[in-house]
Amino acid sequence: MPTTPFDSTLERREADLLGMWAFLATEVVFFGPLFFGYVHGRLVQPQAFVEGSHHMHIVLGTLNTAILMTSSLTMALGVRAAQKGARVRIWLALTALFGLAFLGIKATEWVLELPDAASASGGEARFYFLYYAMTGLHAIHLTLGVALVAWLWLHAKRYSSAYHAPVEVMGLYWHFVDIVWVFLYPMFYLLERYNA
Amino acid sequence: MTYFFTWAGLMICLAATLASSYVPMGAWNSATNMAISVAKALLIALFFMHLRHAGALLRIAAITGLLWLALLFGISWTDFGTRSISHAPWSAP
Repeated sequence: MPTTPFDSTLERREADLLGMWAFLATEVVFFGPLFFGYVHGRLVQPQAFVEGSHHMHIVLGTLNTAILMTSSLTMALGVRAAQKGARVRIWLALTALFGLAFLGIKATEWVLELPDAASASGGEARFYFLYYAMTGLHAIHLTLGVALVAWLWLHAKRYSSAYHAPVEVMGLYWHFVDIVWVFLYPMFYLLERYNA
Repeated sequence: MTYFFTWAGLMICLAATLASSYVPMGAWNSATNMAISVAKALLIALFFMHLRHAGALLRIAAITGLLWLALLFGISWTDFGTRSISHAPWSAP
């Protein structure tokens, strides 16, 4: 029997999850300055931010939010399947596909918004800078998530009800990326929609 | 089944936040949007990320990031809130 620094499998499982939660805490602080920049800009140049927000594609943005939240459902179902030792591949595949759909729609939006962004000035330019920086950083995280979910899919045979820490830990990361988007969506798409 | 209810809750929140942004409420629009976003984040964290059944260690780790963010926001505001950018006489306006 191999020796481990843990007294029980329960303790080991908590250590696995703690590692990811600690990483997510650093991620919160990593995104933090951009959120601070947004709050500051929004208070200093509120009208420019509203103007910028009115150029966003509300239908695509809302659809993308729904897609990402659904991907979190399939990821959660995948983690539960892994815990039970049931089939995880179908859930991982769906999660990765929803993630890719989100990225495809997001890339389309970026291209559609480019002319507006390039001609913006002053506070509106700042809005677009934050928009591309924040949704870009989010998309990088999601791309990494899709790649890792695909990797889990490839090695799905390794996981059982006794060992599934990678799936569980990956689930936490995926949901975190979803939570970031939950805040980005109203910040960029929903400013004074009633005047749009 | 819990997961499907969580997902349904998220979808209802999405519909609510979208609908509320077409109702003119001034500053309350942002407050409503943020409150709904926090509700969505809580749904995801408690049910999808299993914090509801997690031990104290994981809960503390989850709160730590937010605590740090609050500290950094607070400290940064002491700068931005109490100072204005002043241009030197020789710099371009």
